[in-house]
Amino acid sequence: MFELEGIFSAVGDFLASFLGAPLLQIVSIIAVAGVVIGFLMVLALFLVWWERKLSADFQVRIGPMRTGPHGVLQTIADALKLLQKEDIVPLTADKKVFFWAPVICFVTCFLAYICMPFGKGLIVRDLNIGILYIVAITTFTVISLLMAGWASNNKYSLLGGMRSAAQIISYEVPLSLSLLGAVMLAQSLSMVTIVQGQGGSFLHWYIWRQPLGFLLYVTAATAEVNRTPFDIPEAEQELVAGYNIEYSGMKFAMFFLAEFINMFTVCAIAATLFLGGWNPPFEFLSFIPSWVWFLGKSLFLVFILMWFRWTYPRLRVDQLMAFAWKFLLPLAFLNIIVTGFLIYLFE
Amino acid sequence: MRAARQVWSGVYNLVLGLVTVFKHLGHKAITLQYPDERMPMFERSRGVVVLLSDPETGKLNCTACMVCARICPVYAIDLERSEEPDPETKKRYPVKFEIDNTTCAFCGLCEEACNFDAIKLTGKYEFSVYDQKTLLYDRDFLQELGRDVPYEKKKKPLPKAKAAPKADPTSPKPEEPASPKPEESPEESPGEDKPEA
Repeated sequence: MFELEGIFSAVGDFLASFLGAPLLQIVSIIAVAGVVIGFLMVLALFLVWWERKLSADFQVRIGPMRTGPHGVLQTIADALKLLQKEDIVPLTADKKVFFWAPVICFVTCFLAYICMPFGKGLIVRDLNIGILYIVAITTFTVISLLMAGWASNNKYSLLGGMRSAAQIISYEVPLSLSLLGAVMLAQSLSMVTIVQGQGGSFLHWYIWRQPLGFLLYVTAATAEVNRTPFDIPEAEQELVAGYNIEYSGMKFAMFFLAEFINMFTVCAIAATLFLGGWNPPFEFLSFIPSWVWFLGKSLFLVFILMWFRWTYPRLRVDQLMAFAWKFLLPLAFLNIIVTGFLIYLFE
Repeated sequence: MRAARQVWSGVYNLVLGLVTVFKHLGHKAITLQYPDERMPMFERSRGVVVLLSDPETGKLNCTACMVCARICPVYAIDLERSEEPDPETKKRYPVKFEIDNTTCAFCGLCEEACNFDAIKLTGKYEFSVYDQKTLLYDRDFLQELGRDVPYEKKKKPLPKAKAAPKADPTSPKPEEPASPKPEESPEESPGEDKPEA
């Protein structure tokens, strides 16, 4: 009843009734991009607010309260403030790279949503290499962070950028390998096929057949989006703020929003591959629209990441690297071998 | 075996941390929303100095005796005494009474020294201003600040305090009957101790 698929197809039919085929294609591309980007922007603003409220609640404070009821408009006010700020470019900075770094960071974080199944039939384009594409495109962040760190011509920025490069590339390996287990079970890289493979009750979710894979993925994803306890690229006590020290105004806001969108991306991937995506946990709950389930599961995982952040202290650089290569990587390989062996035995 | 125990202890402590943090969710905030809520200040708190007035006549208690100005360690008090006493109260009053809050150290010595309950340190602590000169509080402003400040009459007014030095030679006399009593008890106690020894 509240499935958005019908609404979107109705709008599409309405547009097709008076637009020619080539024009319709252009309009629909722009419309879909607008809807996805608009949704993600609102989501990012909400996540910033939610993070602040949750951190306040964990620390027995109340957090932002002034702008709007319970401060819900706080991030909008912050964004407006950042828009008005002077755009400072350091004198010795590499101007072009300095400009393009936040743009790349901001744009690539939306690209993962091309093949993200928001709900039943709610997907921009079901690529048959879906998850591979997402894993590849989310790694683009590291280029922008390295560009920002290098172009700022600041030792803290450079250290932050180098650290983020080392960290994201290291954790990309166990992250991708931990996803392989679910892909092997679904026998497909397509996100839609993976979600459909988990239909039925919640017992069909891949988390029960891939518990180790899920834990490895959540750990590696936390490092992938530079969140505590793996936030050494922006360790305040050592690097002031890491790669984004020299950024101010809207460029800083772009980095900030991209960070939160990336956090939602990794959580959405985990929800899709391990928690059944838009499938309801029970058959009789299927009257609730599928996109609600997808959003609920993703936001639950976001909550867990925020919970981590306000619980665990930051790791040292050497501990971080040792953890990735000596602990997560062997476990990821073990997971793949065991999964393959069990699939061979039972199917 | 040892490695397994270490892994278990690591996992246990990670989960324990998460549980501890989760318990704080929904806890009532312990912080104070400052401009809306203010902490009630204690009776003994030493904030802005005010001049107290008689609640019945509404006139200042101050007789401009200069004790406070003399005891002030930072010379923050500047006052001038009236030439003629007030016709109603038959007491002198301060023509000028200025307290410089930029130098005031909030030590409370003026309040201790005052014999007429005329000056008091209050719990008021918000006196930020944009211009430093406005921190020089004059008599009328200090009186207005002290209007709603409750105070108790000091138990020992000036005359008794003056009588105290005169009573010094007489004071040993009332102490004399008191002193033998403690002396008697020590005498008794050694007497009791001797049989024991």
